[in-house]
Amino acid sequence: MWSYSLKRAATTTVTLLAASVIIFAFIHIVPGDPIYVLLGDTATPDQIDALRHQLGLDQPIILQYLTWIGHVTEGNLGRSIFFQAPVLSVIADGAETSALLATMTMIWVTLIGVPIGMIAAVRHGTWLDQGLSGAAMLMASIPTFWVGLYLILIFAAWLGWFPSSGYPSIFEGGIVNLRYLVLPSLALAAPNAALILRLTRASMLDVSREDYVRTARAKGIRPWQVVSRHILRNALLAVVSAFGFTFAALLSEAVVTETVFALPGIGRLVVQSILRRDYPVIQGVILVIVVVYLLINLIVDLSYRLLDPRVELQ
Amino acid sequence: MRCDLSALMRGAVGIATALFLNAQASAATLLREATIGEPPPLDVMLTTADVASVIGRHIFETLYALDSTYTPRPLLAESEREEDGGKTIVIKLREGVPFHNGKEMTAKDVVASMTRWGNVGARGKLLMAAATSVEATGKYEVTLKLSAPNGAWKTLIADVNGGLAIYPEEIAANAGNKPIEQKDYIGTGPYKFVEWRPNRYVEVEKFDGYKPVKEKGDGFAGARTAIFDKIRFIPVPDVGTRVSGVQAGDYDYAEMISGDLYESLSKDPSVQVQRTNAPIFGLFFMNSKQGILKDNYKLRRAIQTALDKSQALRVAFGSKELWNAEGSIFPKGTPWYSAEGVSSYSPHDPKKAKELAKEADYTGTPIRLLVSTNYQAHYDEAAVFTRQLADAGINVQMMVVDWATLLKMRGQPEQWDIFVTHHSFSPDPLLLTFLNASYPGWWDSPEISSLRAELIKSTDPVARKATWDKIQSLIYDQVPVMKVGDAYTYDIASPKLKGLNPNGPAFWNVSTK
Repeated sequence: MWSYSLKRAATTTVTLLAASVIIFAFIHIVPGDPIYVLLGDTATPDQIDALRHQLGLDQPIILQYLTWIGHVTEGNLGRSIFFQAPVLSVIADGAETSALLATMTMIWVTLIGVPIGMIAAVRHGTWLDQGLSGAAMLMASIPTFWVGLYLILIFAAWLGWFPSSGYPSIFEGGIVNLRYLVLPSLALAAPNAALILRLTRASMLDVSREDYVRTARAKGIRPWQVVSRHILRNALLAVVSAFGFTFAALLSEAVVTETVFALPGIGRLVVQSILRRDYPVIQGVILVIVVVYLLINLIVDLSYRLLDPRVELQ
Repeated sequence: MRCDLSALMRGAVGIATALFLNAQASAATLLREATIGEPPPLDVMLTTADVASVIGRHIFETLYALDSTYTPRPLLAESEREEDGGKTIVIKLREGVPFHNGKEMTAKDVVASMTRWGNVGARGKLLMAAATSVEATGKYEVTLKLSAPNGAWKTLIADVNGGLAIYPEEIAANAGNKPIEQKDYIGTGPYKFVEWRPNRYVEVEKFDGYKPVKEKGDGFAGARTAIFDKIRFIPVPDVGTRVSGVQAGDYDYAEMISGDLYESLSKDPSVQVQRTNAPIFGLFFMNSKQGILKDNYKLRRAIQTALDKSQALRVAFGSKELWNAEGSIFPKGTPWYSAEGVSSYSPHDPKKAKELAKEADYTGTPIRLLVSTNYQAHYDEAAVFTRQLADAGINVQMMVVDWATLLKMRGQPEQWDIFVTHHSFSPDPLLLTFLNASYPGWWDSPEISSLRAELIKSTDPVARKATWDKIQSLIYDQVPVMKVGDAYTYDIASPKLKGLNPNGPAFWNVSTK
């Protein structure tokens, strides 16, 4: 296990270095310029050149990269051109929202997707299975922004049960501020729960055809024990893998939901920074997202071993 | 026992005090405004972004401010006199006006701010390019000397948008070209900067030391009284969320609501609609420096002749109450309104356009139209015009990019033939971007150069209006730019708010009913 972890750490470092080059090159190849956005409509070429010089954007691209990566190795991701704040603190502020939103969404996804998937698998081929599978398809097909806007309209504007948008930190207003994330997490959970539901159902059906399940049934083990101990546990291997990637995607790709609910999360931060060409923020956020993806990938791989002792880590 | 009782009493008093203070703190009034997005740095001198101006005008102030008729009135200035035929301007400042850091504003602060504005301010060159000196000629007196008189000087320094905001001397002098840091957001306004939480809010709080002018509040001019203790400017990019947020009571005010919601919101008792009294207008800039449209006035007139502006305005802005197909650059009711040349504004005559294009030797070469999707109205207008021009045999190739790319590309004359933008209401023709020869489009024909010089140096309002009439006529003749029409944006607010400013979002003098 330890040698495997070390090997993975080494490949992770190489991946990160390659990612840093790609991120930096990609964002600087895209046309547009933060200086024009910053100074606005009426800036003269002299003003543009002067500010570009002051921000170091007139230096050769390789020199800019080396300066940036040098700072990154010291734990300094630079300073946002627009927020006038350290990139790390800007990311940390957004990360709280994204992490809590993703966690809350995953709770909904687990509570909805896994049990209903189980029911659909156990009642395979019945009208209940057909109905649940159809509902899952419907949930997966409805765009998140549409669900979000209707949740706001019904539960915030009409009923007044939840806030319509925004998210004040729980460190400022306490745990009660989690109510701001209820509607967005439900909007995000809808398509993801549908995915997990279908995956749970399909995996359980696959596993239920295995010989050892047939043997267990033949031995007279109670049906619910066969499902929970023999089928579900083995079927979860595929589901856990999907959980990992769903969680990672929720951290960085919830931009539509974050925009609709005006949440200060990572997805919105990165899109907004791309639109304004806030290079240090874009580079910093994407690098952090890559790190998170790699870490989650590692955790998922390690968790296989815990779920199934037959799995060997090489 | 006595000791224990005393400690108990002290504790009780402490708890009571804490509860009282807590009650006081929770009684602090907060106004929440949903803005269209995150602002750039609030160095309002440097940027013309509206979202920065809306926040910045609560913190920073100018020597003059525009009233509800867009006439400049003294704000940090007390009075002024002109000497030497208008080439010397002496401004007397109000005394005892404190900055948020407690320091009194004096002529030295104004000179430092004016110098920086002239060097790096977004609109600084309009006035300061002709400045020969700016000096403190007394503790509360500033003297500006110009090489030629400028008839619009007061208007040019009467708004914070890319304008002459007054910063403390040391901040203005040390800032250089870079935007000032957040710790230096120190002005004389009725609210002072508290904090900026990325993507969450910018917060300002009431400045207790604020010294207002004596005159009654009118537009951005007159007395400013901070009634709410704090204001939070919260970025809410989705318009549907801004609307629902006000309806649900999560925001008190929301900016820039889309036209298709106007009729339903006008009837909605849970909001009050606040339509701006000053229209913005879409502009299609022709490339006067390079390419197929350079000096080709006939082809430009052919393009203009083919268009039906009403159709584009309807598509872009919806309800008829939100737009007006007006050919005059300035709207009716303003001193600059003019009917010169407007018969050529929106002829929608494809047949005549074809003839004009033929006379201009146009053979179907693609005309590159640069437009951004960040502003839906720009794209809608461009799409409608492209279709109309195709009917007249004029081949337009739309180049759709994001705003940041457009801003860069439009500075490169080889990249485009027409680009789309919009212009906010302008209180004086000299603030119109297309009269600036260095602005992309680069309109600098001998005729406009001469008229522009005449407009700048004339100080007589009647003579300046006559010059403007000639310029508008020239605009329809040389077509350096095409005005799409007037569009009235609107905001929504909680029905509980009163005293909303007709000039735009400004929350001094605003209270709850």
